[in-house]
Amino acid sequence: MYLSRVKIKNYRNFHSIDVSLEQQAVILGENRVGKTNFLQAVRLVIDSSLPDYARKLKLSDIWDGHDWATDPTVEVHLDFSDFDANPDLLALLTDYRLSDDHNIARLSYVFKKRAGITGPAKTEADFDFILYGSGIETNTISRSVHQRISFALLKALRDAENELANWNSSPLRKLLDDAASKVPDEDIAAVAAEINTVSKKLTALPAISKLEESIKSRTAAFTGPLQDMKTKLGINPTDPFRLFKNLRLLIDDGKRGVADASLGSANLLLLTLKLAEYEWLREEKEHNYTILCIEEPEAHLHPQLQRAVFRKFFEDMEDEPISLILTTHSPNIAAISPLNSIVMIRSSESNDQSHIYSLAKLDLEKDVHEDIERYLDVTKAEILFSRGVILVEGDAEEALIPVFAKTIGENLDESGIAVCNVGGTHFSSYLKFVKALGMPYCIITDWDPQEGKTALGAIRALRLINLTLNLSGENNLTPVEEATLLTDDEALKNKAKEYSIYLNNSTLEVEISNTAGVSAALLDILEERDFGSIRSKRISGWKDGTVPVNSEQLLSMITSIGKGRLATRLANKAGIQPPAYISEAINSLK
Amino acid sequence: MADRKLYDESAEAMTGNPQQIQAIGETRHCVVLAGPGSGKTRTLTTAMARSLLEDVAEPRGIACITYNNECAVELEDRLQSLGIESDDRVFIGTVHSFALSQIVIPYARCVYPGFPEDISVASKSQQDTARDTACDMVITDGSNQRDAWFNAVTKRKAIIDRNDPSWVNASPRLTRLIETYEAELRKNSLIDYEDMTLIAARMIIEHDWIRKALRAKFPVLFVDEYQDLGSALHNLVLQLCFVGGIQLFAVGDPDQSIYRFAGADPRLLESLSSREDVVTIQLPFNYRCGTSIIEASNAALGEERGYQAPEGAHKGEIIFNPVDGGEDLQANFVFNTLVPSIIEKGVRLEDIAVLYKDANVGNLLSGVADSLGFSYIRADKNALVVRASRISRLTESCAKWTMGGWQESDPQFRRLAYEAQTLVYGKATGVERREIERELAIFLHKNTMTELSTHEWLLLFKKDLVNPWLTKARTQTDDWAVLEQMIVKTDPETGQDISMLHFSGRFEETGRINLSTLHSAKGREFPTVILFGMNRRTFPDPRDANKPEAIREARRLFYVGVTRAKNNLHLVFQRKLFTPWVLELHRRITPKKS
Repeated sequence: MYLSRVKIKNYRNFHSIDVSLEQQAVILGENRVGKTNFLQAVRLVIDSSLPDYARKLKLSDIWDGHDWATDPTVEVHLDFSDFDANPDLLALLTDYRLSDDHNIARLSYVFKKRAGITGPAKTEADFDFILYGSGIETNTISRSVHQRISFALLKALRDAENELANWNSSPLRKLLDDAASKVPDEDIAAVAAEINTVSKKLTALPAISKLEESIKSRTAAFTGPLQDMKTKLGINPTDPFRLFKNLRLLIDDGKRGVADASLGSANLLLLTLKLAEYEWLREEKEHNYTILCIEEPEAHLHPQLQRAVFRKFFEDMEDEPISLILTTHSPNIAAISPLNSIVMIRSSESNDQSHIYSLAKLDLEKDVHEDIERYLDVTKAEILFSRGVILVEGDAEEALIPVFAKTIGENLDESGIAVCNVGGTHFSSYLKFVKALGMPYCIITDWDPQEGKTALGAIRALRLINLTLNLSGENNLTPVEEATLLTDDEALKNKAKEYSIYLNNSTLEVEISNTAGVSAALLDILEERDFGSIRSKRISGWKDGTVPVNSEQLLSMITSIGKGRLATRLANKAGIQPPAYISEAINSLK
Repeated sequence: MADRKLYDESAEAMTGNPQQIQAIGETRHCVVLAGPGSGKTRTLTTAMARSLLEDVAEPRGIACITYNNECAVELEDRLQSLGIESDDRVFIGTVHSFALSQIVIPYARCVYPGFPEDISVASKSQQDTARDTACDMVITDGSNQRDAWFNAVTKRKAIIDRNDPSWVNASPRLTRLIETYEAELRKNSLIDYEDMTLIAARMIIEHDWIRKALRAKFPVLFVDEYQDLGSALHNLVLQLCFVGGIQLFAVGDPDQSIYRFAGADPRLLESLSSREDVVTIQLPFNYRCGTSIIEASNAALGEERGYQAPEGAHKGEIIFNPVDGGEDLQANFVFNTLVPSIIEKGVRLEDIAVLYKDANVGNLLSGVADSLGFSYIRADKNALVVRASRISRLTESCAKWTMGGWQESDPQFRRLAYEAQTLVYGKATGVERREIERELAIFLHKNTMTELSTHEWLLLFKKDLVNPWLTKARTQTDDWAVLEQMIVKTDPETGQDISMLHFSGRFEETGRINLSTLHSAKGREFPTVILFGMNRRTFPDPRDANKPEAIREARRLFYVGVTRAKNNLHLVFQRKLFTPWVLELHRRITPKKS
């Protein structure tokens, strides 16, 4: 089973969102976009530790943009899938199936105007909440659902050290209690006797017994005989039943207590013990399922450790009866998260609400899927933290575009625009990927003319236009529309721009050689570098005009120069203008 | 949750009865054949407790289905004494309510597009309206609508599988009539009793995931009084257990099958126990009846069953009471002569039951009892409190609470509120629950230790509670009408009003004698039983003379009556005009002259 979909209406940042999730969800988003509010919304439905008064929202919890006259209703709906593989979960959730899809069980929280209040609701008292299943308000959720599907949240500002040290809140307590209950009484008694002996030996040491005596007499003198506390030094308590409470979790082979652990280690310990606790609760049949939310699991961990720990964590959690929701700012965690787990919360342009995007339903062919995962891994998931992305065909574009941007006064790094090298012309998978993330994007691609045939770029552009339409749930271009566009290159290119696809007239190579100043500037830069004799000869030939410039060879040499160096050099050449289609593409993301 | 200690005690009490012990531990499909007084209910309830304690862990549960509401109520009481209450994971109720609440309501909306999400049970008048509309729409050639309807109903009951060619092809007009009728009901979000089991059976036949869901929720299904099930319900059980993989634990006794008029067929239980994948356990003891009554019961049934009394059992006594005259005189004899003579021997009134054929005889007996000042609890369809009716039981419980039960929390207010919520909403939401609780609390407190008569109190109950409830009720059953009937039955104009103390049964000094039809007495036992009106022209009914099945069933009814008695069995009949079975019984227990 897993939490497969969350719908939220009118709650805090969210006007109306509907997001699909996988068994593991990694939520990314800038500060204040509502990551914690998202978790809080889930709690309203499922967290049994949430008291009723916490489910009675404040008026300020209702989304700001609502219209009071229409009685705003806060709604949170959780859909669960694949619950029928486990009879316990099936028994728990089978009453809450949706009428139009029996494979989904839905649990809902709704905060709305009470029945019987006439006129628009004005105060909190005019509202009440209801919990129900299967989208039918009278189908109340049984108590056992809340008892047996547990919600656990490790908050961002957790104090791991304290939680571990405090006996009552420590996850170690239940585990230790359970283990202790399995120890035979006579064994406990034997250990207690030994401890007693040791304790006596210890306090019998002359220096110690002297101290003990002195404390005893002082307190006795101070309190008088009636209040005598009868103090003693000792290893306490030796009461067999309380013996186990004296056990402490130690680190470094028992040399140090958790209090001495680094913050990072304490956090890892806390997480490990929590997981052990949930597993135990499930084994004891106390719980059947856990929705585990961890805010900023990266807290205090070294980047290298983040990657190693959570890569394994994601693998380990895959087959557990757990729906895992992480929120993170860590590129290291994002980079190693399973692709379909990525969820992005982003504020709308007008900043009045947050939208949510998920890759859960991103369905790519296996090799492309792996490609993108690898890409995220090596780029530290740069694209996931960017505000826009330029999809390009190859290394040359990847190297040149940031440079061109600078020449027209754009610093892509500063404005958070990533250039993503697709390594070919298979843009469609990447298009699906960036669209699913709701990310502003543009595609820069070659026209690639063919002798006596339709240009490859034209066909590519039409395909991408149709895909874009599909992804937005619209109809394809009609065959007539397509045919008309294919008769008029300019019309097709303009049409493509409407879909953020920017085409040149031939290939990048040709564009470069045709753009005034660029070619010469590049040759200057190349000349400064020591190439082998053949290349050096070629460069000088191009430069003095004895040999026509071969753009292809030129670009291949350029890509071998470091991107950064190329950029600085080129930027220093005043007055260079990139090819127009590239400028337009860059400007489209402003 | 079942209580471990109470279960241990209950299981402990089975020492010396290996069959019972085997039955409660059985984890295969199992049929327990349990004669009168064999500890059937104890076996069933203990087996349920064991299941909950040892086999079925939360959140999964068990279901126990019974033939009618009375049995369900009886069973709930018995289960409470083992710490088991019906809740999310323990279903106790009739087959119909199981079909409705566990199959039709949760899943029909998923498999039949457009099926109403807020389905409720059609009242008699709503059914009639739908029937009339359907008849007018389908039977348009002027032929007799009543006959067509009668035939259509028969066809509906006979063919469960609607894909069967005989449903579609044979007399298609009847098919159309039924389908139109059902569509009419559905238009108003209604379902009738026949629908419940038919739809439920169809759903579990057609959808593997529904069988799987039911098995997940209720891995074990207990069925009480299996002999009372008709073929539709039997089919439902077969589907659940032998296709759906739910473990079956059925108890019953073909000899006590007395609901033939409602479609019951004792052969269904026999066919179940003859299956190879079913373990059949016959309970051998009769703990209830004295040895002479056990002996007599063989004669009553006309077949040898070989039930044994446990060691050291008392003998019991069978007394023949010929009366010179018909039922009127026999009734006078019972209350003027027989009952006083029994009481004189120290038997308490509440330990005596007068058992008779039908509610008309009940009227006669209660009339005589009234005139002589006997108080009684009546169990037949003319009884003031109809055990099978929720509203009827609720008023009685509320009366008990009002007249002193509030002091010792018996009945518990929580329980009353739960009954009321279920009555009004079926499954109530939090807000609805609180509202009903508040309304009920206000009413009960206002009328604590009321001096109103039962009639007046019932009128107030209707005005203050039931009328407002009716405006918001989600359940629309005929049950509400039972309150009207109670008000009529206590009409002071006809001299039938009684005091609230009387109604609530809170008497300190004297108990009440039991008046019950033979049918309603099934499953119960009394130290002293008076079988009333065992006359020739009554048992068996002369109209059944040529129907061997009906005669067999009448004889089983007589057997049920005889086996209700623990110590003393009185037979009251007209001298020389008694039923032949009385004679057989007499011959059996009278030592032959040598």
